[in-house]
Amino acid sequence: MGDILEFKNICKSYPGVRALQDVSFSAKSGNVLALLGENGAGKSTLLRILSGDVSPNSGKITINGEEQIYSAPNDAIKMGISVISQERQLVPSLTVMENIFPGAQPKTKLGTIDKKKLRSESNAIIDKFAMPIDPDDLVGRLSVAHQQMVEIMKAYRRNSRIIAFDEPTAPLTESEINVLFGLIDQLKAEGKIIIYVSHRLAEIFQVTDEIVVLKDGLLVSQLTTSQTNENELIKAMIGRDLGDTYANLKRNDQIGDVILEVKDLNTNKLKDVSFTIRKGEVLGFAGLIGAGRTEVARAVFGADMISSGEIHFDGKKVTFKEPKDAIKAGIALCPEDRKDQGLLLFRTIRENVTMPILSRIKSGLFLNKKLERELTEEAVRQYTIRTPSINKITRELSGGNQQKVILGRWTNSRNSTKLLILDEPTKGIDVGTKAEIYQLVCDLAKSGLAVIFISSELTEVINVADRIIVMQNGQITGTVMREEATEENVLSLAMLV
Amino acid sequence: MSNQTLSPDTVQKQKFSLLSLLMRKRTLMMLLLFFVILVIFAVLSEGRSLDPRNLMNILNMMAVSAFLTQGVALLMISGKLDLSTGANGTLCGMFLAFVLREGVPLFPAILLALCVGVLFGLVNAALVNELNMAPFIATLATSLIGTGFVIMIAQNRIIPIRDTTMHWFGSHMLLGFRNFPGVPVSALLAFLLMTIIGILLHMTKFGRQIYLVGGNPQASMLCGINPKKMSYILFIICGLFSSAAGITLVARLQSANMQGLVAQRFQGITAAVLGGIILGGGSGGMLGAFVGLLVLNTFSNGMTVMGIGPGWHHVASGGLLVFALSLEFLQKKQAEKTVA
Amino acid sequence: MQQKIMRLIRSKEAVLLLITIVIFVAFTINNDNFRRMGNLQGIMQTMSVTGVMTVGMALLFIGGGIDLSMTFVALFSGVICATMIAMGIPWPLAILITLVLGACLGAINAFFITKVNVMSFIMTIALSQMLQGVNLIITNAQDIAVTVEGFRWGARMLWIFPIPFVIMTLLIVGFGLILTKTRFGRSIYMVGGNEYAARLAGINPKKVRAILYIIAGTLSSLAGVMFTSRMASAAPAAAADWQMNAVTAAILGGVAFGGGSGSMIGCLIGIAMLNIFNFGLTSIGLATQWITMASGALLLIALTMDFLNERSRKKSLGLITTKKKLKLQKGV
Repeated sequence: MGDILEFKNICKSYPGVRALQDVSFSAKSGNVLALLGENGAGKSTLLRILSGDVSPNSGKITINGEEQIYSAPNDAIKMGISVISQERQLVPSLTVMENIFPGAQPKTKLGTIDKKKLRSESNAIIDKFAMPIDPDDLVGRLSVAHQQMVEIMKAYRRNSRIIAFDEPTAPLTESEINVLFGLIDQLKAEGKIIIYVSHRLAEIFQVTDEIVVLKDGLLVSQLTTSQTNENELIKAMIGRDLGDTYANLKRNDQIGDVILEVKDLNTNKLKDVSFTIRKGEVLGFAGLIGAGRTEVARAVFGADMISSGEIHFDGKKVTFKEPKDAIKAGIALCPEDRKDQGLLLFRTIRENVTMPILSRIKSGLFLNKKLERELTEEAVRQYTIRTPSINKITRELSGGNQQKVILGRWTNSRNSTKLLILDEPTKGIDVGTKAEIYQLVCDLAKSGLAVIFISSELTEVINVADRIIVMQNGQITGTVMREEATEENVLSLAMLV
Repeated sequence: MSNQTLSPDTVQKQKFSLLSLLMRKRTLMMLLLFFVILVIFAVLSEGRSLDPRNLMNILNMMAVSAFLTQGVALLMISGKLDLSTGANGTLCGMFLAFVLREGVPLFPAILLALCVGVLFGLVNAALVNELNMAPFIATLATSLIGTGFVIMIAQNRIIPIRDTTMHWFGSHMLLGFRNFPGVPVSALLAFLLMTIIGILLHMTKFGRQIYLVGGNPQASMLCGINPKKMSYILFIICGLFSSAAGITLVARLQSANMQGLVAQRFQGITAAVLGGIILGGGSGGMLGAFVGLLVLNTFSNGMTVMGIGPGWHHVASGGLLVFALSLEFLQKKQAEKTVA
Repeated sequence: MQQKIMRLIRSKEAVLLLITIVIFVAFTINNDNFRRMGNLQGIMQTMSVTGVMTVGMALLFIGGGIDLSMTFVALFSGVICATMIAMGIPWPLAILITLVLGACLGAINAFFITKVNVMSFIMTIALSQMLQGVNLIITNAQDIAVTVEGFRWGARMLWIFPIPFVIMTLLIVGFGLILTKTRFGRSIYMVGGNEYAARLAGINPKKVRAILYIIAGTLSSLAGVMFTSRMASAAPAAAADWQMNAVTAAILGGVAFGGGSGSMIGCLIGIAMLNIFNFGLTSIGLATQWITMASGALLLIALTMDFLNERSRKKSLGLITTKKKLKLQKGV
């Protein structure tokens, strides 16, 4: 016993982003190490490197000083590393026991799978977790919480030296969380190395011994859990450099009439959502991932089905059958997932910027290419998109510039946008560009636009928005004005545990 | 600033080489390939392949496949695919011959045949959009059904076409000079349409939307484009062009037989992929597809001139398809290298 | 035990079996021809060629692939085998060489699909085009007759069962055991059901898929040899679209087109259902055009069933990520 896992100078970059930069730290056996950071700070990338799913560009992982070189997850498993990923990686059409023993089912002497042993061993593990799960049930039929437990059993079964949990408690209820924490204590006692990623600070203090804080791909601090407190952690996660940025923001103080009113909106993920937003106002939406903020945006935008409720926009009652109708009325949405839903990565900036306004840059039958060029150049100037040419494909731009391209799509002079919905606009963006985007949001509000600002970064919402709506489980749990907003009161509304 | 993003300038500093240029400009590469093929066959056949009559032959052969290609190329740019173009065309040609024999006047008859093509496209679109089937399997299934209809109409016989206008369309030559006999009307029409569509694709809103939907259907939807509607329209256009290909074929042969376009059924896709229209959608263009078509047809014509049997044609067209698909892969690798 | 029986009765396979029996009984009542022993043996004969291919197709489907070169791999194998026998090579050796060739063709598919990332359907179509040409080159569009008496096992009976049927049954049992009883078999389901999960669990999805393509190639080759043996001659082009029948049979038998589920028993029932259906149509005097159309329609029906199945499964799950959905749509 007494293993030591070390990360040494790990660097990893993806097209346009540096996900990890020179990250080094170590974890000891019998210790629970928390990995903390905002979305896009690099936690998941680090775990993916640990699991052998991706390889770092440089740097190495050592166990007891020995360098571990592996290229596929199988190698990592052989080294005794198990990573429980955030998205449950199970096969729904197979049974529980087969999902617990993927590719490692016990064999009989003939080399075939020993079903009896498989079942009994599975049962033993399930009993250990004290879960009412039948090993013969299909995983697809289990509740999400039980699926998560099966995912954990899968890693537990391997009896690995190193176990990493990525947001394990997100889909779990209290009783299962207690089981999980009991298990972690036991693993700790057995001398395993445990890495624990979570957004829930309370949990971090409950189960971990050490904390590593990542920010924008850099390791910003390494703390001992017993010698720190929530405030210090939050400070470390957010960094100080943004404090001035917020203070220097030139805000809009002229808030106008109501532009959007949503009454009792219901969809399959939302329950009785009602709110209003005024011209020139920046309305923040805070909450945990999966709280229903994106769903509100999509429902208002006509991208998701609404089962009941009313939307009044610009004084009229409206029903949007598809996003096209919403765009016509003057609503714009910059989606949460830039690469999957926002950009055409293999097309040029020009083509990306003019996507929604093609019918407005037509002269006769043909597109007016000159006007298109001018509009794009206008957007490039207005948002200081750093690119050598408007004909560069967007894949080659940095994350921040990509986000600006999407902003430019909705706010040039040919658009009639009155309400701009920004869903996680600063995800995976460097600090400098973040500050630029905050100012842009305020500028847009100043020009009379209503802006809905959805973000998982608490400080960001609190400091940029004029008013903050907090959501949880598809419902609005409260509204806080900026003057009164603190991380504590917003967080308490978001979690309400 | 703690986290530096990659500046575009560093990305640009890439070693320039002819190969990388050719990898990026697929049309250029295919054009080069076309000339290489032309020269090789000219040398091998001691000039026979450059005989004006033979060049005319190439154009003649290209008429049918040009129709097939443009429909499927549009569909492929939008990220979908149609494997039923051959069956559809065969059916439409057969249907045209059938209604002509039954005494329907030419123009209503052609209109009817085109309607069959449209209907075919509509069925494909409905299967793909309403029942979420993968385009390739849905269109393979409809092509089985189409073939069933062909057998039913043909009853194992060849249906002759005696209409003079059809003969004119299929075989009359225009633009002849000196010893060059000219270009068949059908080929002229096919190329003209291809040019017009190529231009419209780059100049109009609809054309742009085809690229947008192919590039990222989700993002397009959020920008007010209806990908489902686009898919319906494009499947129908593809059906229409398949039908035109079938009509052209029977006009040239002056009869409709059950083989029809079976041999050419994958030509459209092969030409499009050769010309740089990738299977995932969102890139490529008509010019590329045309050059792909040129490569495909000069290759098979060259083999005909050399007296190489039809077996080798199949081998070559399959081989070219694999080659084109591998190019796609190499291109992607290159692109990844450029960014990383 | 009781629970097990209930599970068996409620399974997809049981329902399918019932449907097959109903179709069979319906045809039997309506048609005297259908009842004779010779006809039953005829059905068994016909079904074994597509049946062997269906086994390969079903394995690929479960692992998330497809092979559309099966028909021409089979025809090519028939041609090669017949040619070798005509050249005087002893027939068992000829068969062996042919099967190895079939495996090589599968390996070519596997290489381009797993290493060069070509979409499976288009790659296999391309290979099938090439083989079509090769067949023409070898045969000059003529059938090749096989005169060696020993090679005609395909037309003989083992007790009351045609030998090809016995081979098919053995294959179904064999692969059924592999699928349910071995790690490799289970890993096929994992790769088809959730490729990323399989990778994280230490399975190499590319390797698994490559093996499946090689198996599919070998089985197609075997089907071609069986056909040639029964007919005593090899044809360069087929009368029927075997591989589409294999696709239909597999999906009818409850093998999910999107991968991850299905069984060999279901596969067998699918084969039987399709063949009884086709045979029934012929025996009540329908001409080929209707049968071609019917098989297309049947494929569409099967695909629709698969779609509804998949949708209800997705509803109960929420496990399938958007990426997977995109993949399904694109038909990778």
